[in-house]
Amino acid sequence: MAIIALKDVSVQFPVYDSNTRSLKKNFLRLATGGTVSEDNRKHVMVDALKQISFTLQDGDRVGLVGHNGSGKSTLLRLLAEIYEPTNGQLHIDGHITSLLDITHGIESDFTGSENIAMRGAMIGLTRKEIKEKTAEIAEFSGLGDYLALPLRTYSSGMRMRLGFAISTCIKPDILLIDEIFGVGDASFIDKAKQRMVSLLEQSSIVVMASHANALIENFCNKALWLEGGRIKFFGPTQVALERYAEAA
Amino acid sequence: MTTDTAEAVADFSTASSQAALATEPPITFPKNSPLQRAWQDIVAGTCNWPLWLMLAYQDIKLRYRRSVLGPFWITLSMAITVYAMGFLYGHLFHIDLPHYYPFLVTGMLSWTLIQTIIIEANDTFEMMSATIKQVKLPYSLHIHRIVARNLIIFFHNILVIIPVMVIYHATMPLNAYTLLVIPGLALIYIAGVIYGLILAMLGARYRDISQMVKSLIQVIFFLTPVMWNPATISGTHNMEMLVYWNPFYSFLQMLRAPLLGQAPTLLNLMIVLGVMLVGAVASLCLLARYRARIIYWL
Repeated sequence: MAIIALKDVSVQFPVYDSNTRSLKKNFLRLATGGTVSEDNRKHVMVDALKQISFTLQDGDRVGLVGHNGSGKSTLLRLLAEIYEPTNGQLHIDGHITSLLDITHGIESDFTGSENIAMRGAMIGLTRKEIKEKTAEIAEFSGLGDYLALPLRTYSSGMRMRLGFAISTCIKPDILLIDEIFGVGDASFIDKAKQRMVSLLEQSSIVVMASHANALIENFCNKALWLEGGRIKFFGPTQVALERYAEAA
Repeated sequence: MTTDTAEAVADFSTASSQAALATEPPITFPKNSPLQRAWQDIVAGTCNWPLWLMLAYQDIKLRYRRSVLGPFWITLSMAITVYAMGFLYGHLFHIDLPHYYPFLVTGMLSWTLIQTIIIEANDTFEMMSATIKQVKLPYSLHIHRIVARNLIIFFHNILVIIPVMVIYHATMPLNAYTLLVIPGLALIYIAGVIYGLILAMLGARYRDISQMVKSLIQVIFFLTPVMWNPATISGTHNMEMLVYWNPFYSFLQMLRAPLLGQAPTLLNLMIVLGVMLVGAVASLCLLARYRARIIYWL
């Protein structure tokens, strides 16, 4: 059984290459982004998430809505266990797959197969599993013989295909998605959609950030509305989307 | 099924979230202390050796991709440097080559290993930031990758001493002490991971550290008997102290002495172990205190 529980979780970033003196005071409360402030040592601090509490259990499909910089991606990175809470408690149980930035960390001088092997090893696959998955990824991505060529010969669409195929090759308990629909050309979009839907159905918990409300309506039974790093509303999709639309 | 849960949380707004949380089955949050987490990071990173070994090997493969000699460029460039240096300094300082060549070559090999670990460790987290921001891996794993990579390069470099060993076999014997290379390398590896962790954290937080270390290491290179024989300063007490208490010299001797068919002194070993102990405590404390912050520094 997968579970995600957050209790009063805050995330605060230090920004070292910015001087507090360069901040205009009227910037302290911004339309986009978290609150910018300074700590006692005169470092610029960004409050990306503030006192977030919620619990997700099996069957929860949560859509994240909110303006740019409202903390959606930070929250997803927190749930992917990449960021750690600066305050509060976090408990996550279950295998996580995060589709946050699928082409990130791909080595452009390595061939497709080498990239599969490297990424596969990093997400914890064994040598044998990688071999099995390579064939599957080759087939799914439709890259075929291109997998023997270095990544720098790929078009950006082909990179996306590979990244998507690698990232989605294992079935997770918890699936985290950041605006990922619409990978590649028309023929691949259908394939990608199918795989996404099957992943969505197989995962116990899904958290997805999207600006496309239709997607959230289709796939999510709950929605979480973030503003300035705080939860504005968390509840049934319809209610959340209505309130979000009213406020906008 | 979805409508039921939806109704249950119909009024689940921020204000009532605390109350709603209380009615749900209680969730036990893990209560690991930062020290435990730091220790787990080190253990998990170390145990995942197939991954860091593979990544280290890939790093080398990547660097020499499309070149004909491949990683043997490491060997060749090292050979050119040390053979030329040996010839030049041997003549400049009027030292007899049968003694100087083996001394210089083994010294340069050992020093290069130590120096590149130190320099590269500094930028570890910055270099790996793409991976760190994408995949959750123990921080210590990245350090292992750097140190292992340099160890693999050392194994390429070591071929350079074979011709020297053949030509000057009289002053550079192969004997039982030669086997001490293995524990010597092990000590340097462990020290590399310990101090690599410290340097990587400092380097990620303060970007000046890596520049500072790069220029300092040059000074230390000249202060440490790599190119010059410590015997030449015997008699001047202060200088002698400077050499024998220099921890870099002790680490250097862990490798050079066995390569020259000698045993490192007990003092060398004591200094090495002492430095490692202090470093182990310091790196564990630093990791416990700042591990969770590293990601925000990148």
